[in-house]
Amino acid sequence: MAAGIREKQTVALKRMLNFNLPPIKNSTGEPVWKVLIYDRFGQDIISPLLSVKELRDMGITLHLLLHSDRDPIPDVPAVYFVMPTEENIDRMCQDLRNQLYESYYLNFISAISRSKLEDIANAALGASAVTQVAKVFDQYLNFITLEDDMFVLCNQNKELISYRAINRPDITDTEMEAIMDTVVDSLFCFFVTLGAIPIIRCSRGTAAEMVAVKLDKKLRENLRDARNSLFTGDTLGAGQFSFQRPLLVLVDRNIDLATPLHHTWTYQALVHDVLDFHLNRVNLEESSGMENSPAGARPKKKNKKSYDLTPADKFWQKHKGSPFPEVAESVQQELESYRAQEDEVKRLKSIMGIEGEDEGAISMLSDNTAKLTSAVSSLPELLEKKRLIDLHTNVATAVLEHIKARKLDVYFEYEEKIMSKSTLDKSLLDMISDPDAGTPEDKMRLFVIYYINSVQAPSEADLEQYKKALTDAGCNLTPLNYIKQWKAFAKMASAPTSYGNVTAKPLGLFSRVMNTGSQFVMEGVKNLVLKQQNLPVTRILDNLIEMKSNPETDDYRYFDPKMLRGSDSSVPRNKNPFQEAIVFVVGGGNYIEYQNLVDYIKGKQGKHVLYGCSELFNAAQFIKQLSQLGQK
Amino acid sequence: MAVDITLLFKASVKTVKTRNKALGVPAGESPRDELLKRGSQRPKSDFSCRAREVITNIGKLKDFLLQHRKDYINAYSHLMSEYIRMTDTERDQIDQDAQIFMRTCADAIQQLRTEAHKNVQSPQVREHRAAVLDFTEDYLKRVCKLYSEQRAVRVKRMVDKKRFMLICLGFLVIFTDQNLTDAHTNLGLWGDGKGEDELSPEEIQMFEQENKRLVGEMNSLFDEVRQIEGKVVEISRLQEIFTEKVLQQDTEIDNIHQLVVGATENIKGGNEDIREAIQKNAGFRVWILFFLVMCSFSLLFLDWYDS
Repeated sequence: MAAGIREKQTVALKRMLNFNLPPIKNSTGEPVWKVLIYDRFGQDIISPLLSVKELRDMGITLHLLLHSDRDPIPDVPAVYFVMPTEENIDRMCQDLRNQLYESYYLNFISAISRSKLEDIANAALGASAVTQVAKVFDQYLNFITLEDDMFVLCNQNKELISYRAINRPDITDTEMEAIMDTVVDSLFCFFVTLGAIPIIRCSRGTAAEMVAVKLDKKLRENLRDARNSLFTGDTLGAGQFSFQRPLLVLVDRNIDLATPLHHTWTYQALVHDVLDFHLNRVNLEESSGMENSPAGARPKKKNKKSYDLTPADKFWQKHKGSPFPEVAESVQQELESYRAQEDEVKRLKSIMGIEGEDEGAISMLSDNTAKLTSAVSSLPELLEKKRLIDLHTNVATAVLEHIKARKLDVYFEYEEKIMSKSTLDKSLLDMISDPDAGTPEDKMRLFVIYYINSVQAPSEADLEQYKKALTDAGCNLTPLNYIKQWKAFAKMASAPTSYGNVTAKPLGLFSRVMNTGSQFVMEGVKNLVLKQQNLPVTRILDNLIEMKSNPETDDYRYFDPKMLRGSDSSVPRNKNPFQEAIVFVVGGGNYIEYQNLVDYIKGKQGKHVLYGCSELFNAAQFIKQLSQLGQK
Repeated sequence: MAVDITLLFKASVKTVKTRNKALGVPAGESPRDELLKRGSQRPKSDFSCRAREVITNIGKLKDFLLQHRKDYINAYSHLMSEYIRMTDTERDQIDQDAQIFMRTCADAIQQLRTEAHKNVQSPQVREHRAAVLDFTEDYLKRVCKLYSEQRAVRVKRMVDKKRFMLICLGFLVIFTDQNLTDAHTNLGLWGDGKGEDELSPEEIQMFEQENKRLVGEMNSLFDEVRQIEGKVVEISRLQEIFTEKVLQQDTEIDNIHQLVVGATENIKGGNEDIREAIQKNAGFRVWILFFLVMCSFSLLFLDWYDS
């Protein structure tokens, strides 16, 4: 796929906004105005892809939520982009009855059922508005693309398909079916938008297998239905020059519970872990200079700021996977280059002021004019650069404060050592009982990672000691119950996976990374270098994509929706290595895995990987889910 | 890849209709009645009608400009046949008409803007109308750009032509001057009775050299003039940008001015409050002192009284 999934989804959205007609490139085209109505699902899908300015460019004057109070605006076509749920349909029928707009273009995010379509027809008949309903479309866009190669299923009701919902001990079959249906529906929409039919591989005996079976069935049904098939020649042929089909690897979260809890050191993952980061938007609370004023003055107001981290932000794209000290250095460099350019513009001003007095010769004039022109034309770029530098300075400062307060670098180093099974220089007990390193949550995470990675369970006495230390530090011990259960189950199923055998090298204790002129004085923060190590998910992908034989992945099931008869074999028919792969984690994923996959695929020429998960959580949310599970 | 289910929807409408008929539910009106009813019931929004009118007008202007663009720009029209020729008067006419038209469109948009906010209650409709007017203005700007590009090309060419003609004229004058002096000397020579009616080789060479020198001078002058013109055009563009920025800064400075005025008022009020507070404090202290002194005097008095 030459175009990333992000581009495809954006193109689909733009076409929808253009009344589902192919867009005409005309610089002096007549303006056509419309109103966009979406529900929360639609909002989550549109907001990472199109900014308000881009919506304006497409002719949208107003964009409103479906369930808000809307006033009638006559003579305007309205484009609806909603999920076909009961309440949405009711609200749309109400709109039809109240005759809010002139014509209605209904677009459903996933396929609508026949009975609901008849409900709308009924309301339209009752309101004598049948001719007003101009077009009805099924858009098949039920997934949220965050990056060019990363997508999540949903953000709104993610408790319904969270890790906890899937792994609850008291889950009923019907609930499980409902969850699986939601996941499969979104994955199906994803493949329709991508325009390719994958070869599916999944591990046995997990939720991932259920998803795979259902997805295979759905794809197969759709292919057989020749009349309404969504994978017809024009979507497949257009722009797809490779005859290779992509590989879909479905894994379950239970393969690897340690990675979501891991403390991380790369920029994007840190921002997600430490700050409030959703759908490419980070919300910061800026406290402008905390002062202790004892005379009872009002406390300084904290102002909330939110920033969008988009693909247009070049700095973000370049550095979102780099380790944090590198990011700090780069911000410094950008700031310096920006200052140099600013100085040059200022110097130009002084030159012009001096030269304007005597009648310069033509050559002088031409030189200065050229300089002026270039300076003026580069002004907008400079302003944009300054804005980005400010943004990243603020974000990185906030992250740095958190790191310093919680000593996250120490945790990171320690966990890397645990996960790579090298010797630990500080005992776990010391780490836990250290009062000024990290919140209770951090300590809990550390302990759980240790527990997961220990080859045999620590003895009862040790465990008691640890528990006591943890409760002293203020942690909640409920996740432990669940982890014990999981470990027992995991041990029954397969051997515990190892995490590779490379270590993180601390490059120098207490090294001052920045010079004194900078804002990022990282004293006491170790300049750690991330060594490449493959997480379990990456290793599974590696085995499957290169068709390597490995006891772990050999008994993964194999599904090919294009084959006439499904078989239960795990022998792949296709022996060639794949060029494209999609890794989907059922039960939740996070940026650490994503970054690991990106790093892995960078080393391979000409291969692409897309990462998807049913929900995106950071360690805090995951611990909460684990503790809820452990409470039962 | 989206699936068009409009036909499915229409089919559902039919099924629902038949079902309603079967169940005896009163059917809705037929499409014809629907249209009639809608036509009479809902008042067509005045605003959007007029906005659409303005847009169609701008569209007409654009079509007109594009249609005559080729003829307009055609520099060698005096060489072409009569069909495609466009005289300068016609071009001026087009310019004038286009300008008047654009002005009327801009006025119409302005009028719509003032009226749009009058009889509207809901903020959504207001926002919608403001956005619609922004789009229309944008469209007008784009069409005006077409026109101004055309005109800039024409003006440049006119200026070039004038310069060229001036230079030619100058050259011609010098040449005829030369010729006259030559003819004079020739007459003189003729009077001498040489009988030659052609110039001697040295004189020919001299004249040729001078010609060459003059041509070179004219060329360099011409080049310099062209350069200057280019620079002036650039400067004018920069000037535009600067004025824009200055206007922006102007509004910002106004804002800051307002804020500063507000701030000084607040500070004055604050000072007043502080002064009052100090006075009250002082007054309070006086009373306390007085009370204490009175108490001590009363004590002394009682003591003296008792003993």
